[in-house]
Formats: sequence, C-alpha cells, structure tokens
Amino acid sequence: MHRPGSGRRPWTFYALAAFFGLYVLFLYGPMSAIFILSFQGPTGGLTFPMNGVSLHWFGALFGQQRTGDFAGSFTRSILLAVIVLSITVAASVMAGLAFRRRFLGSTLVFYMAIFSLIIPGLLLGLGVGLMFQFLGIKPAWYSSALGAQLTWTLPFGLLIMFAVFSRFNPFYEEAARDLGAGYGQTLWNVVLPILLPGIIAVALFGFTLSYDEFPRTLIPIGSRNTLPLEIWAMTTNVTSPALYALGTLTTAVSFVVIAVALTSIALIQRRRTRRGTRTDAGD
Amino acid sequence: MTRLHHLLAAPLACLLLVFFGVPLVLVVTVSFFDFDQFDIIPTFVLTNYLELFGSSLTYSLYANTVKYAVIVWALTLVIGFTVSYFLVFHVRPFLLQLALFLVCTVPFWTSNVIRMISWIPFLGRNGIFNQSLIALGIVDQPLEFLLFSDFAVVIAYVHLFSLFMIVPIFNSMARIDPAVIEAAVDAGAGRFRVIREIVVPLSKTGIAMGSIFVVALVMGDFFVVKIMSGGQSASVVLAMSNEIAVLQYPPAAASAVVLLLVVTAMVVGILRIVDVRRELAG
Amino acid sequence: MSAKNKTLRRQLSRREVLKGAAATAGMLAASGAIGGFPTIWAQNIKDVKLVQVGGSYSAIIDIARQASKDLGFQVEMQTGAHDALLNRFVTQPNSVDIADMEYFFLLHLVPRGVLHPIDLKKYKWWDKVVPIFTKGEYPDGRKVSTEGVLPFEVQYVDGPESTKFSKRPTQWANGIPTVYNADTLGIRPDIVKRPIEHWRELLNPEFKGKSAILDVPSIGIMDAAMAIESRGDIKYGDKGNMTKEEIDKTIKILIDAKKSGQFRAFWTTFDESVNLMASGEVVIQSMWSPAVTAVRSRGIPCYYAPLKEGYRAWASCIAPMRHLKGLKLDAAYEYLNWYQSGWQGGFIAKQGYYSSVPETAKKFMTADEWGYWYDGKPAKGDIKDPYGTLMEKAGQVRDGGSFWERMGKVACWNTLMDENRYMVRKWNEFVSA
Repeated sequence: MHRPGSGRRPWTFYALAAFFGLYVLFLYGPMSAIFILSFQGPTGGLTFPMNGVSLHWFGALFGQQRTGDFAGSFTRSILLAVIVLSITVAASVMAGLAFRRRFLGSTLVFYMAIFSLIIPGLLLGLGVGLMFQFLGIKPAWYSSALGAQLTWTLPFGLLIMFAVFSRFNPFYEEAARDLGAGYGQTLWNVVLPILLPGIIAVALFGFTLSYDEFPRTLIPIGSRNTLPLEIWAMTTNVTSPALYALGTLTTAVSFVVIAVALTSIALIQRRRTRRGTRTDAGD
Repeated sequence: MTRLHHLLAAPLACLLLVFFGVPLVLVVTVSFFDFDQFDIIPTFVLTNYLELFGSSLTYSLYANTVKYAVIVWALTLVIGFTVSYFLVFHVRPFLLQLALFLVCTVPFWTSNVIRMISWIPFLGRNGIFNQSLIALGIVDQPLEFLLFSDFAVVIAYVHLFSLFMIVPIFNSMARIDPAVIEAAVDAGAGRFRVIREIVVPLSKTGIAMGSIFVVALVMGDFFVVKIMSGGQSASVVLAMSNEIAVLQYPPAAASAVVLLLVVTAMVVGILRIVDVRRELAG
Repeated sequence: MSAKNKTLRRQLSRREVLKGAAATAGMLAASGAIGGFPTIWAQNIKDVKLVQVGGSYSAIIDIARQASKDLGFQVEMQTGAHDALLNRFVTQPNSVDIADMEYFFLLHLVPRGVLHPIDLKKYKWWDKVVPIFTKGEYPDGRKVSTEGVLPFEVQYVDGPESTKFSKRPTQWANGIPTVYNADTLGIRPDIVKRPIEHWRELLNPEFKGKSAILDVPSIGIMDAAMAIESRGDIKYGDKGNMTKEEIDKTIKILIDAKKSGQFRAFWTTFDESVNLMASGEVVIQSMWSPAVTAVRSRGIPCYYAPLKEGYRAWASCIAPMRHLKGLKLDAAYEYLNWYQSGWQGGFIAKQGYYSSVPETAKKFMTADEWGYWYDGKPAKGDIKDPYGTLMEKAGQVRDGGSFWERMGKVACWNTLMDENRYMVRKWNEFVSA
C-alpha cells in the first residue's frame, strides 16, 4: 500500500503501473491500425498496405458522402446521446434518492430495471416499434429510439446510483437539517456535491451507451439513422477509410475535451485553494 | 416521506413501464402464439417452449454463452479491480488519477462496430501481431486461432466491456476513507490483508454492479460473437436474431423469456452475495 | 432531354403555378407534351417527402439527390441491414414510404398487405423491363430457372386490393425491379493457381481453412447446396425450397466440413468478404460482384469464376407502401417512373449491378462503359466507378462476359423456403456445432 508522503514507492506500485500500462496498450493497440489507416491516400482501402498518405478521408467526412450520411447521423447520435444522458442522470439520481428507503413497489421497480437491462435488445426494439405503430405515432430517433435507449441506460444509471449511495453517510444530511436547511437546500448544497463523481459516472455511461447503442435502436429508429446504424449499413457496400477517419477524429476530439476539462478543473481548484484555505483547514 | 420517495422514483418507473413494460408484455404474449410461413397466429400454444426445451441446440447454446460470460467476467473483474486499485491508491494527485481514468474511457467513444473491426487486421493470418511474431522468430507459421475463434470473441468482449467493470469499482474504491487503510497499516496489517479485509469488502457493491453489467452484456450479445468468430460460434441471442431476421417471432419470444429468467437467476445469485439494496441502508 | 432543358421547364412550370394558372399546367401535363419530369403540378409538391429504405448497395444517397433535383420534391434514403429492413416493413410499415428490398421479401410482405400494388398503367417502362421479371423468360423464350424465388413468381397480384400472388401477368405489380446480379465464387488466382470451374471446389480439402460462405442462413445454404450438388452428394428437387430431409443432409455435410476445418469464416457484410479475400484469410468464397472489383482495385488479383453449374442470382425491387395516399402516392408513381428513366441505371451499372431497363441506363453511360459492363467487351479506356475512382484498367473484360451470358446461366435465386422455420433451426445448429 502506497502511503502518501512515505517517499519510496513499493514494488507493487511498479507491478500495478505495468499492468495498467499493458491494459492501456491493449485498449489502444488494435485501434492504432485505425489511426494509421485513416491517413490512407485517396485510392487506399480498409486494410494495409497504405496507398500513399493524405488527409483525404478526413475531408470526405465533412463533404458529400458516397454511400452514407456521416455528418447527419453523427449529429443525430450526439444529440440523442445528450438527451439520453440528461434524462438518465435526472431520473437515476431521483430514483437513487428514493431507493434509500424501501417504499411500496420498490422491489418491483428494482426488478423491472434488472429485467430491462437483460432483455434481448432486438426484441425490445421490435416491441417499441410495434407499440408506436399501434398508437399511430411515427417512430423517430428522438421518440421511439430514445425510449428504447432509455430502457438500456436507466438500469445502468440506477445501479450506479446504488453504488454511489452505498455507505453514503446520512450524517451530513442530518447535520444540515439540524442546522435548519430545508430538503431542497440540503439536497442542493450537501447531497449533490457529495454525489457528483457518481453523477459524472452516470452521465458518462448514459452518453457512451446511447452513442454506441445498436440492437435496441435498430428497429424503432424511424426514418433517419444514428451513427452505429449508418456505419453498419454502410458495410454492405464499398466502405471507405472515412470510417476510420471518424474513429481517429472521435478519439482526438475526446482527448482535447478531456485536456480542456482537466485544465479548467485544475485552474478552479488552484483558485479555490488560494481563496479558501481557512475553510479547508477546518475540515 | 413515502409519497416523496414515490415521486422521486416515478420518472424512472414510468419510463421503464412504457418503454420496457409494454414490449415485455408483447414478448410474453407472442411467446405463446403459433405461426406459419406467412403470419403469426394468435392462439395459446406451448409448442415454442416445448421445442426450445426439447432441443439439444438450446443447451449447447446456453453452454457456449455461459462459457463466454464466465471467462469474460473473470478477466474483466481482474482488470477492473487491478486498474481501479492502481488508480485509487497509487496515483496522486487527484487530477492525474482522473486523467488516467479518462484515458481508459476514451476508446469507448469510438463506435463499437469500428473498434471490433479493428481487431481483424491486427489478429489475422497476415495481421500485425502474427507478422511480428514471425519476424521475431517466435513462430514460423501464423497462429490461426487468433482470429475467427473463441479466443477472438473473448478478446473483443474484454476490449468492449471492461469499462463496465472499471467504472463501478473505481467509484466504490474512490469513496473508501484513506484513514481506515492507514489505521490498518499502522496496526501492522500486510498489503494483501488490507486488500482482503478492507478494500474488497468496501468495494463489493461496485464489484457486484460491474459483474451484473458484464454478465448482462455478454449474455445478451449477438454481434460480437457473430463477427469475431467469423460466424462459426453461436450465442443464445445470435440464434434468436436469426429467427427474428425471418420474422419467426413466437420462438424468438419464447427464447427471450427463458433467457430473461436465466439471466435474472444469475443476477439474483450475484445479489445474494452482495445485496446492493441493503448496502444502501447501511 | 438535357438536364438544362429539364431545369428550365421546371422553373417555367413553377412560375405558372405561382401565377395561379393551374389549369394551363394541368393541360400541359395531360397533353403529355412534356416527356421529362416533373409531371405533377400541385403547388405544395415541394413539401412532399418520400423516404426510401433499403440496403446501402441500392438506397444510395446520390440517387436521392438526383431525384430530388429532377422531381421538385424531396427524396430521402435510409440504409439498413437486411433483417432489420424486413422487420421494419412488416411491423412499422408507416415508417417507410418506398420499400427497397430483395424480391423474396415480397413473400412476407404481400400476404400481409403492407404494400400498395403498382398500377402498371401509370408506369411507363413496363414493356421495356427485362422479360426475366415481367414474363419469367429470356428474350429467346427460354424459361428462367424457378429454383428459389424467381422474381416473376411474386411479381403480380390479382387486383389493387388483393394480397394473393397471380401466376400470370396482370395490371398490378408488387414492385418495380431495380438492381440485380448473378453471384458466383470469388477466387484468388495467385494462390489457387489453377482454373476453378465448379461449385464443389468450395468444399475441396485442398482449400482447407481457406474457404468461406455467406452467413445469411437462406443464402448460405444455397451456396452450400450448389457445392454439394456439384460434388454429387445430393440431387435436390429444388435447392431454393428444400425438403426437411434435404435440409438435414445438407446441414450434416456442412457440419462435417466445418469440423474438419474447411471454412475460415462466414461473412455477413460486403466489407468482411472484401477483407477476407484481400488479406489472404480466404482464397475461395461466394462473393458479390462489386466486392471482387473492390479486392482488385487494391492491387490484389481476384476474379469472379463463371462456373459450369451456373450462378445464384438475386434481384431487388422498390415498392410504395400501402399507407401512401393522395399527393404522396402521386409523387411515388412519379418517382418510380423517374427511377427507371436511366440516371439510376447508369449509376449502379458503374458499381457492377444491372438495371432492369438497360435501354434507358445506356443513355447515361459512355459507349465504352456499356461495352464493358453489359456487352462483355474489353474496356478501351480505364473503367471508373460513379465517383471517378479507377475500377478496372483498359483492356480488362468483365468476368463471366456479357449481360445475357451471365444472366442466361442462372441456376437458382435467393430464396425463402417453405421449411424456413426448420431450416433456420438447423442452421443455428450448424453455426454452434
């Protein structure tokens, strides 16, 4: 166990760091092929060898597409993922708060969430599509597909909130209320900040799960595709390295976003420590 | 107070009721229907279930899928625990910890389809890995089992699903009070004893969540197994998807109902060991 | 009519409509004085949107763009995987305006009444459509193979409200044929090093661990049947509609072959087949024609073997959905007529598929392109795809020769069997064996 300030790092640190390094290599290793191949020359294909080096396929991403509509489906996927994320975070946090006590029907809701997580996605999508057909509502990515995706993200959100709330010390809440804070005030000023890392995790999951969702979205999608559906459909025709350019671009943008986020957190923290050393010391 | 709790749970419950409840009722109903070449016949028959249980195919499908689930669960658990442990207890400051954690999540924002396809040029007969092995003189013939095999399927599963183990475990571990561990170390507890008696028990909620996620993901998959085995291995849902592809809904629905019960049993098993809801009260 | 003329005429008509001279416009349309498009003059036509849903090899975005430009209303394309499409058409027919699908889908869709039978009086190219579709015959009167689902068998219904297939031509068509082709085995000549002339080579132990078939049960089993019949193991009554006994025997042979390691993989998507071949994982497999070209365009030798037993053919069609009404239905007819007026035919020909009205497609191809793709002549110049990428170098001849040499040797069609339920079950056994 590494103890902060104990100076020399134990051997386990190096062993674990090596393990972590290998895992990261495992994650990115096969993707390196994607990164390299996305710089194919204009006549290049999806496999090695490279036919020249160019930025052609990155340009192709934004220009008129051949077989697919990358720009459109990408925008839809991002939008949908943001909507799913928002609903998932709101509904799961609320439900997480509710589940701290047993209430009438809590077991039912819990098992409904578990079932919803494990029902085969294709069939669920089929069911949602049928429901819309019966109701006479036109299925669309922002209605039926959104609903189908929520059956996937909500259970994740709820279970993560369980992990977050477990051993959440109600002492803080009680203390706040003893000091005269109302329920809303306690929630906003005391509970939510403590839950923040968990909420970020739920948001992360909500976004990723929606952005990548395939089987549930496949059938109730309506008449415009999300990105995974578009990509999959494209593979039934001549696909181009634009597919890989998209992967490279996504990764690059993710890194930029992370870097920006971390830098700003660092700046905020530094400012806070400068301003609030006194309050921190009393902790 | 209960009314408040009902109100808080209502959005989630209602969304699930509409978008999951209705389809579920449809699936269960259709599983008792009969069908012919052209249409579904709404009666009440048990043939779909009888056929399902009477066929050796069902058992071999379950054997195969459960095999994948167990292997992938074990691997992702080891990865999830180790990676989280390293990040939480060995990486300072907090920002670096967060940065490394996010490095693990970035690949998950590239579409699953693309990520899966990326293994193929890597593991193939003339792929990067085999070529390097040959160049290094480790083997003279390319290793064929690397691609279109159980090995490839498991590798892809671990690649795609390990995040679902890391996130909950990381979350649980991050909230272990360092003071508890320091106290134990001061009291002379060894490294592994601390892990066994403090870290594992205190992160078991995360472990349980991650296990539920991974098991549910693998048991419900048809896509990875189809592509990575080169169509030479099957899972329960893959067989079901072949039925759905030709509109044979009743047997597919029956198969889904059985799968639902089997996976629920697995989840209940996990919850027996770690009751996540009791943990909440604690 | 030139594109420029067309645009002019449309602008003219718009202005007239705007002036409120609907009567004049109506007269113009009725008189048939205008051969081009558009022929609908409703003021709100530009608000109409048609969504065509199909596979990405036929629901191509360029076609939608061109149609929208020529017709004055919006056409959108949505692409999807085969199985998802069929499920969509059946369970959510209202989410689709124009279904774009393989012919055997009609066996599922027509009895369920989700399609709008096409009144051939309103369709102007029917007498120009290749007789394989309209009569089930070749131009010389020979009958086309009926193994599997010959498009002609599902082409007609009795009347506008009927859900029953008609055995002979009527005024009501279930779909307008669009793209089609004759499939066979793709070969890597640099590795195989000898001519391949029979389907049975797919199962030849010489290619152990290096052969592949398609992982779509109803099509994969047909490829297997072609190979098994060619080897002389089974004589099928109808490969496209096997008996249970035939399915059992076929699957048993397949399982034995799989256990002995004959197959490297089964492919699902176009890309997979290209990558399997290009990377040398596989040297002999059933493929689509453009996939062979795609392998070759990467500088890797590959050819489409014309086999003695003939080809396994497939064909796609487009059909308006039942829910279309009024102006939208008129627009759909307008679109169907536009579809076969040549632009689309020329476009897909350059991807290696055939048009069902070759006559109009010809106008949108150069003489050299026509010679290469349809006439089986050596290319005089380089052959390019619709986007200008080099496909074949000058001097190349299309594998299998001319249009009629290829389509004249169809042994069977993509299919939906009566014993489908049983077949899917057995196929699942094969995959998990």
